[in-house]
Amino acid sequence: MTRPDGGRGGTARGSAPRTGPRHPGIGATVGRVALALALAFGGLAAGAGYWQVIRSADLSSSPDDAAVIAASRRVARGDITDRDGVRLAWSVLDSNGEPYRKYSSRSISGVIGYASRAFGSAGLERSYDAQLTGVAAADPVQDLVRKFRTEPSDPQAIRTTLAAELQQAAVAALGSDRGAVVMLDPRTGEVLVLASTPIFDASAIADPQTSTATFAALQADADLPLLPRATQGRYVPGSVFKIVTAIAALGSGAVTAATTFPEQPGAEKAGLLVGGYRVRDGHHPATGSTALDLIGATEVSCNIWYALAGLQTGGDALASWAAKLGFGEPIPFDIRTATSQVTNGGGTFGGGFSDAVELANASYGQAETVVTPLQMALVASTIANNGILMRPHLVQAFIGKAGTVSVNPEVWRRVLPADLAGEIAAAMKQAVEGRLGRQFTTGARVSGMTVAGKSGTAELGGTGEPNSWFIGFAPADDPQIAIAVIVEQGGRGAERAAPIAGKLLAVWRSWAGR
Amino acid sequence: MTGSQPTGVPRGAGLRLPRPRFRPRELGLLAIVATVLAVGSASLAATRALRGEADPAASAGFLADGSGLLSFIGGLLAAHVLLVLSGRRTDQVLLPTVGMLGGISLLLMERLPQSLAGGLGLGRTQLVWLLASVALVGVIGAVVRSDAWLRLYKYSWAAVGVGILLVTFVFGHDVNGQRLTLSVGPVSGQPSELIKILLVVFLAGYLSENRPLLIEESSRVGPLRLPPIPYLAPMIAMWAIALSIVVVQKDLGAALLFFAVFLLLLYIATARVSFVVIGIMALLLGGAFLYQLLPHVRVRVDIWLDPFATASGNGYQVVQALHAFARGGLLGTGLGGGLPTIGGVLPIPALHTDFPFAALGEELGLVGILGILGLYLVVIERGLRIAASAADDFRAILAAGLSLVIGVQAFIIAAGNLKLIPLTGITLPFISYGGSSLLASGVIVGLLIALSDRGRDLPAVAESGPGRVQRMPEHGAR
Repeated sequence: MTRPDGGRGGTARGSAPRTGPRHPGIGATVGRVALALALAFGGLAAGAGYWQVIRSADLSSSPDDAAVIAASRRVARGDITDRDGVRLAWSVLDSNGEPYRKYSSRSISGVIGYASRAFGSAGLERSYDAQLTGVAAADPVQDLVRKFRTEPSDPQAIRTTLAAELQQAAVAALGSDRGAVVMLDPRTGEVLVLASTPIFDASAIADPQTSTATFAALQADADLPLLPRATQGRYVPGSVFKIVTAIAALGSGAVTAATTFPEQPGAEKAGLLVGGYRVRDGHHPATGSTALDLIGATEVSCNIWYALAGLQTGGDALASWAAKLGFGEPIPFDIRTATSQVTNGGGTFGGGFSDAVELANASYGQAETVVTPLQMALVASTIANNGILMRPHLVQAFIGKAGTVSVNPEVWRRVLPADLAGEIAAAMKQAVEGRLGRQFTTGARVSGMTVAGKSGTAELGGTGEPNSWFIGFAPADDPQIAIAVIVEQGGRGAERAAPIAGKLLAVWRSWAGR
Repeated sequence: MTGSQPTGVPRGAGLRLPRPRFRPRELGLLAIVATVLAVGSASLAATRALRGEADPAASAGFLADGSGLLSFIGGLLAAHVLLVLSGRRTDQVLLPTVGMLGGISLLLMERLPQSLAGGLGLGRTQLVWLLASVALVGVIGAVVRSDAWLRLYKYSWAAVGVGILLVTFVFGHDVNGQRLTLSVGPVSGQPSELIKILLVVFLAGYLSENRPLLIEESSRVGPLRLPPIPYLAPMIAMWAIALSIVVVQKDLGAALLFFAVFLLLLYIATARVSFVVIGIMALLLGGAFLYQLLPHVRVRVDIWLDPFATASGNGYQVVQALHAFARGGLLGTGLGGGLPTIGGVLPIPALHTDFPFAALGEELGLVGILGILGLYLVVIERGLRIAASAADDFRAILAAGLSLVIGVQAFIIAAGNLKLIPLTGITLPFISYGGSSLLASGVIVGLLIALSDRGRDLPAVAESGPGRVQRMPEHGAR
């Protein structure tokens, strides 16, 4: 017995089974099912391709990867050095011949982090776990043929962009305060200093003898020494944020360097009324009835001018220009970074702001605006580098047996045209060098070098001292170093942060002039 | 696990032995398989020798002296000889293909820590089951000539299946929160492996008999064309069985497999897409309901949506599997070179049963994964080809159903490993560790080979037993 219409089934009636008196062969439907399964298996192949090719590098070199964890227990990690080859971290063997880590100084704890058998890793040690243990080769071609080598791991040394001497000076300048200093080369994005205080003893965490007690004590410490403040501390910026407002205002064309607001001088005494809330100033009786422009407003840190500029710019433009500078998402960097924000978002006023009051306050860095020190250093760096933001980086080279892979500077964002950046730079120069500006940035000046910058005094609400801020760059006419300083509850910007910046810029000058 | 011996020896065959028919294609393919597996075994031994010194902990428990592989290849050859002696004109590609899959499984199980299985150890235990599975392929492929014993008693088989299911519901014991294992005296196994074969046998009988009715008649409910109401009952029963397996056994994988195979066979038999659409809608509806109702379903789905959110908790296993794929990259680490152990513990829990696909993804790379997917596609293609050229509807649906069981099951677990669908704990046919699964797969491939018989001595369906010729739809069910 065979079926009436044969075994192959691909009859003409196969496509219209319900109309014919006869039934189509099973072959036709079997063929379609075979096709469906082939497609499904094609989907499997695509899925495998996604995880094994597209996601291969980032998953297999993640510090959570089993191979990375396994290797970090038995492989002596590569050295970490500063930009001149000064060793910052290296491995020694314990009595069982198992490796553990030692660090040159406590001053680098916030950036290099630690690698411990019992407590995992943090900082640069964590981000480059795979490279330091040699699980991932710096060169992807080497990774591909690794299976054919006898010893599959090639622990790499990392030469960072840090300057150990400057890092040490920054931590010393912060002293017993909680705070952070970021210094980078605006022309290349190389980070020279990434200091966070309080510091901690990473060697004691890594040493198997002392790790448990040390780690427990650090975790219990109310000053949060394990928080790398330079990259993950989130602070109210206060007036240093005015540079972001200036970038948005000039960049969007809503305001020019010459813009003045007629209502500004009159509002200085009683405050500017915005939506029933008064934006107050009171810092500069010296300007009297003069309507300030960008330079004048920046020199005396005029809240009212910046609130009006921010309102004129609009919430959408402020948020989107801030996003160009890195706000709104973690900055892509060698170690983990926290997200800076101009607003909590969700508002309907534009850009996520809820109303004019919030926008006016955010324009001079209060309201819901929160930033990381690294983010503010990038803002200064953008102005210093003619409006071009270089991608910040912390590593110069990975050095393995199989060769050296260098990290080259690259442009991250072209934020502003050079002429607009120059106008803001001139305002920042006036804020440090100007007759009135000096009073707000006392101590930031360095003899023999012009400095541009902006101080900030971030009110935290309540009765506590405000956060003390300074961002800037030098030399003002040929910027080679950008800096951000925050001292938690250090008082007004001029009291604590500006003098630290001045001191560190002076140290930098003699370091750079070696 | 198959209590029933094949009873299909044709009448009058007596003791007359058939004339042997040589199978050159099968032999040639087996030679290639043996060569590839030997290279794999050598590579594994070399990796072990080179890396063993650097990391003794990682190589502890390795088992790769080649004797296991030799026995397995011997088993494949014995099955080949059996098929030659049977003198039948049957498929020559299936045995080498599943032989390759089984060989890969053996190398993997020999390479993993042997303590994962008690008694003989992981590699040796798997070897025993693989040999039994290959023996089933050979014996069933050589001996089973009539399908009457399957065709005539479809409701009995269905009753046996439901009975086993109910017994498992009541007496099965829970392993890892799933009630999958049934023990009778010293023998324990996973009944769902047997049930899936019984399901296909029943569906083949039922659908082939009622095919004309299902195609031509329909009842309308609003815009939907439904099957005739009396014939809707088995669909609803299937749906209920699948959901009850999820509820009682917490076995999402088996439920998904049963229901998918059912829908595909329904489509094959009727060519009506509307049935499949209705079935999928019913499945989604039931799934959404169970998601609300059952925590274990919710956990699985949440892990699937974002395993990295709970990378050190519920999502650990899935995340570790994805890392394994990532470590493998394009070319893999080589057999024995991957699966880094931390403190002697494998990175992925339940690797030998639920994640061999991820393990092979790491050690053989994307290239190896594509090869393994290709092998399954070959099994599916051969099986569906057998279905398309089968002598009648019963055989066609039976062959299609058997190959779909292998194909869909491989898809479900591979897709679960790759986070394409929620993970379910079913086995990868011929590769996962486990006796029940290997034996069931052996029976399936043996039956496929038997069904592929296109020799001159094809047993005529009508002569094979006391049953009716099935193409008489107006008589309805038996």
